[in-house]
Formats: sequence, structure tokens, C-alpha cells
Amino acid sequence: MADKDRKPQVTVTSERLQKVIEALSFASVDEFDTCIALLQGSADEQDEFNELETAFSIFVKELSEAKNEVTKALSKAESANRQLEAKLETIEMQQAAIRELSTPIIEVWAGVLCLPVVGVVDSQRSAEMTETLLETIVAKQARTAIVDITGIDVMDTKTADHFIKMARAVRLLGAECIVSGINPGIAQTLTHIGVDLTGVRTMRSLRDALQFHLKETEQLAAHATPGTPLGRM
Amino acid sequence: MADARVRARVRVFPVAGREDAVLVATQARRLAQQFGLGAKRAAEVAIVVSELATNIAKHGVRGDLTLTLDDGGGRRGELTVAARDVGPPIRDLATAVTDGCDGEGPIDPALFLHRGGLGTGLGAVLRLSDRFEYQELPEGKVITARFFR
Repeated sequence: MADKDRKPQVTVTSERLQKVIEALSFASVDEFDTCIALLQGSADEQDEFNELETAFSIFVKELSEAKNEVTKALSKAESANRQLEAKLETIEMQQAAIRELSTPIIEVWAGVLCLPVVGVVDSQRSAEMTETLLETIVAKQARTAIVDITGIDVMDTKTADHFIKMARAVRLLGAECIVSGINPGIAQTLTHIGVDLTGVRTMRSLRDALQFHLKETEQLAAHATPGTPLGRM
Repeated sequence: MADARVRARVRVFPVAGREDAVLVATQARRLAQQFGLGAKRAAEVAIVVSELATNIAKHGVRGDLTLTLDDGGGRRGELTVAARDVGPPIRDLATAVTDGCDGEGPIDPALFLHRGGLGTGLGAVLRLSDRFEYQELPEGKVITARFFR
């Protein structure tokens, strides 16, 4: 057999071993290029140990490529994550904005609150509006509250009924409630369900409502003792 | 069945919080108008969607709202609002759709504010839609409101 005749030609000196150990220690600290250069640079002897070195260098090269890819994927995932977090933050901000905008109460004049109602009014929202409006009237010591429903085309009968009840509750707090901008559809709804409208002042538009309030306070101011602040009457 | 799917447009909206009710209702109104419902009818669809979505957010743990716009294929078209959630079933449907009541019975008006609603939501769905269906699922329930075009 030819194999038997071949004598092993491998001479492993401690320098060669040292070189491999050094190369692998570079690999362990991610210095793949230095490691590969060291492994390939020792090609002075063409023996089996050299083949081992070549195998090592191929292995290290693949390892470095795999590591590169993992790092790339990781940074990609990280940036996607950051984007997602930014989006979530935006959504949270928008949700807060929606909550706030659902019952915007504006003090349009001293002692005059305006609640412009837009969008879709369901039973829960009308309950929330009542709560917020009544609380704000007390907090701001408002004399007049104008609920403007110009932006509403349709209301469920029970919700419409609740709106009128809200107006009455405002009166109980000692303030005047004016409902403005009732459209023909809602007017019909209210009369059909036979809501008692006594004590609820309605105006054609927000402008009419404001004018009405100003005229009333003017009259009051005429009777008032000098020095009484307007609107706090 | 396959035929029905071809002529129907289906949109699913997940509902997690109260804010979603506003978003879904706005979308529903737009879709209903595109579907050919009048402005008043589309606003009624939006109210129904808002009530159902609010209920999911309030009682339903989690759920979604499916809008199906079925062209009818020459016959009468139909817009369906299906609100599905994995919350507890409605104990007594007849009471729940009664105004001023929830599934348990009449609500004390003094509690309206704390409970965040008037107890007229399902009543509104019943009043404003053409057909109202309730179905209990192995896990949760689905309330379906239909609007004919």
C-alpha cells in the first residue's frame, strides 16, 4: 500500500503552534482580519499542519461573515423597533388628542362657556359631555353655557333627550343653557318623542346665542351698582 | 357563498379603547356614504358603530368590529356591522336593549356619570338599524346590525 510507505512529514514547532494560538485569540476578540492574515501568512511549509491552518482560516472567515450578518440584522431590527416605538408614541398622543377634543369646552367670553359638538354623538359621549360641562360651569363660575350642535346631523332619540336634560341640569346649577344650531332632523326627533322643552333656550346659531347673552348682560350691567365686574354678575 | 364574498367588501377594525370608537365611527360613516346610503342614514350607521365599539371597549375585554358592504348583486344591498368581543355574554338581552338598563337591570340615574353612559346604547342600535341580531359564541358574543340600502 502506498499510504503505508509515506512517512509523516509534519514537523510542528512551538512557533507554529504559538502562531495558531495567537491567531485564534485574535478571533476571540472579533479581530477576524488579523486572525486570517496570521493563519494564511504561515504558508512556508506545505504539510498537513498547514492544511489545518487553512481549514481554520476558512472557518474563521465564515464565522466573521456570519457575525457580520447577525450584527446587520440586529441593527436593522433595532431601527425597526425604534420606528415602531415612535409610531406607538404618536398613536398614544393622537388618542389623548381625541379624548380631549371629544368635549372641548371653551370660555368664549367672561362667564360664557361654549361646547361645540361635532362628529358622532353616542350615549357614552353625551354622558361624558354632561359631566364635563357641569363640572366646568362650577369650576369657572360660568353664567351661561352654549351647547352648539350645528355639526350634528343625527342623534338617537334617547341621546337627544339626554341633551335637553343636560340643559336643565345646567339651569339647576344657576346658569343659563342655550342650545344652538339644532337642525331640522333633530328638531323633529325632539318633538316626536315629546320632550318637555320648557326652560330650554334654543338659538339658531352660535352667533345668535352669543348676541343674546351679551344683550342680557348689558341689561344686567345697566342695573348693576358701579364697579361690579361685567360677566360675573 | 363564494359569490357573496366577491361582491362584498369587508373591513375589520380592532377595538381596544374608547378612542377607537371615534375612529371606527368616522370610517364607517365615510364607507356608508360611499356605499350609497344617504347622509342621514350614514350618520345613523356611525352612531350604531360608535355605540357598539364603545360597548366593546367598556365590557368586552377585547374585540373587533367588522363592516361588510354587500352590493347585493342586483338585489337589495346591505351594510352589516358586526361587533364581536370575548367578554362575558349579555345576561338578559331584552333588559339590555331597554333604555336606562344594562344586562343586569335598570340603572340608577345617580350612577350615569360614574358608569360612563346612559344605558341606552343597545336601544339606539335597535332603533337605528333595520335588523338586530345577537349571538353567543363559544368565547364571547357577536352583535350584528344590518342596514338595507
